[in-house]
Amino acid sequence: MPRIEWYAETLLRYAFVAAVIVGIMLLTYRGLVAVGVRRQTATGFALILPWFLGFLIWNLFPVAASLYLSLTNYNILQTPDFVGLANYDRLLNQDQQFWASLRLTMAYSAITVPLGLALALLAATLLNQGVRGVGLWRTLYYLPAVLPAFVTALLWRFMLLPTRSGLVNTATEPIWSLFGDNAPRWFLDPDTVLWGFVIMSFWGVFGANTVIMLAGLKNIPRDLYEAADVDGAGILPKFRHITLPQLTPTLFYLLIMGIIAGVQIFDIGLFVRVPRENFLNVYLYQQGFTFFNMGYASAIAWVMLVIILVLTLAVFRSSQAWVYYESEARR
Amino acid sequence: MKAPPIPVPAEAGELRSTRPRRRRTLAKVPIYLMLALGAGFALIPFIWMVSTALKTPGQLFKFPPEWIPNPVAWTNFGEAWDALPFGAMVLNSLFVTTLAMVGELSSAAVVAYGFARFHFPFRNALFLLMLSTMMLPWVVTLIPGFLIWKQFGLINTFDPLTVGALFAWGPFYIFLLRQFFLGVSRDIEEAAIVDGANPVQVLWYVMLPLVRPVLLAVAVLSFQGNWNNFKGALIYLQEPLTRFTLPLGLQFFQATLSGGESPRWHLMMAMSTLMVIPVMVLFFLAQRQFIEGIQLGGVKG
Repeated sequence: MPRIEWYAETLLRYAFVAAVIVGIMLLTYRGLVAVGVRRQTATGFALILPWFLGFLIWNLFPVAASLYLSLTNYNILQTPDFVGLANYDRLLNQDQQFWASLRLTMAYSAITVPLGLALALLAATLLNQGVRGVGLWRTLYYLPAVLPAFVTALLWRFMLLPTRSGLVNTATEPIWSLFGDNAPRWFLDPDTVLWGFVIMSFWGVFGANTVIMLAGLKNIPRDLYEAADVDGAGILPKFRHITLPQLTPTLFYLLIMGIIAGVQIFDIGLFVRVPRENFLNVYLYQQGFTFFNMGYASAIAWVMLVIILVLTLAVFRSSQAWVYYESEARR
Repeated sequence: MKAPPIPVPAEAGELRSTRPRRRRTLAKVPIYLMLALGAGFALIPFIWMVSTALKTPGQLFKFPPEWIPNPVAWTNFGEAWDALPFGAMVLNSLFVTTLAMVGELSSAAVVAYGFARFHFPFRNALFLLMLSTMMLPWVVTLIPGFLIWKQFGLINTFDPLTVGALFAWGPFYIFLLRQFFLGVSRDIEEAAIVDGANPVQVLWYVMLPLVRPVLLAVAVLSFQGNWNNFKGALIYLQEPLTRFTLPLGLQFFQATLSGGESPRWHLMMAMSTLMVIPVMVLFFLAQRQFIEGIQLGGVKG
């Protein structure tokens, strides 16, 4: 059984930190009012303070610190030893494992994100055709998204066991036997690991994407379709010229969120034993917390930051060309 | 604010005549078939998980697969439960989830109210800054964050999983709550202010009750997030096993069970099923909040 002190101590510190935050908020308010700042302004600053303190302590400082650490050798026990760009040099020029993990992660995202969007769009469009029991369908589709990623991983690892042990290979045996019985060995074969990951995470996000897109579809003003009906437009032109443009803000949101989540995939990687490389964040975790190469791990983290920055900026840039906003069109 | 009702699809034909109705229903058969295919894809793994959880080792790899095991091995749950101190882990998970949820929710509400209703310099810039932290990869702050907790000697305590929540660590929740605060009419608030209420009272007595549905949605998502928080537990909880939360316990469980010659999948599935039950129950109780919570991000964002 857990010891009661563990809870009591945490509870005490939790209450203390909460009190300190409230105290700082009050002091900020009083201080600002005392130096003649308007009450409205002082209250605003005081109210956002919990986030701002958190930003300084848990975002800004760590980002700066990890940049510094990435330029050092640091094993937690000794003080960081400054080595300049040596970590990045080793990472980019010598580390095969890094490139392999990066390739796997990128391939995984490049497949999962578009696949998840396209099939969710299909499902949402079908659900929007005035079918009966939309609520029930929606619930069924969303169900897998309720599971934590690691349960999903465990479950699919079991279903993707090779030969007749796994449900997937059992069910698809007729197909594989057509091709000379070369059923994939999924997580036992380095070449099919990627597809195993794609299938399991697609199962996890598909329903959530569908539900979000369905909401986007329901938001499209009906009069647009009615106007198109008057003009005698068919189903495909309506989809192409009304549905898709109107849905682009939702697609944009899902694309950004999908990329951010896809590149940073971690949980499922840690629940699956693979023969060769795993995801980049899993590699980072091993470097940092198994081998305690904290400096080296920080360098990987910064590579990750740059990747996400470049990808999201690219999507934001491109969004001007394809995302349609009602308010802009009116201008 | 009530949940927006699902718009009833306007049956355009209804206005004109009812004759083509049967034809339309028939035309929808392929749609229903495809939808059923998708639903099958979503559900079958679930059913397989529960079915496996109720099998004896001998039934695991039977061919053809057995969906309803005979006999049903109810004892798996007991066996899995006794394999590790799962009782302790449930308590830890409940403790961590409750504290993190309360902290996350209350700090997000306060901050969202500040962003929604008060004018101060750099407000929009700060708000954008807050949103942009959503794109910050967790691994960038991981190691320095670990070192901060280490500095305080709080590694292997529940603090890193709970105390941080007091600093409004969920930008998405702040964003959602702010959107809804913006939708509340100012008149209601001003009446309270005239009556001499301070901002905290206005927030607590006026604003929060008005946005209760979205508050509930955030609470449900937050529960799910914290109950399923695997990364935090992996980094910060070390030993003994009675310190673990459920996700970490499950990971330890699968690592020990997969090691041997015949992995005991029935036990792993039994434990997975048990661990998922609270979130599933919550999902069925608060489906609308779940689904609306995630939809709002897509539509309002």
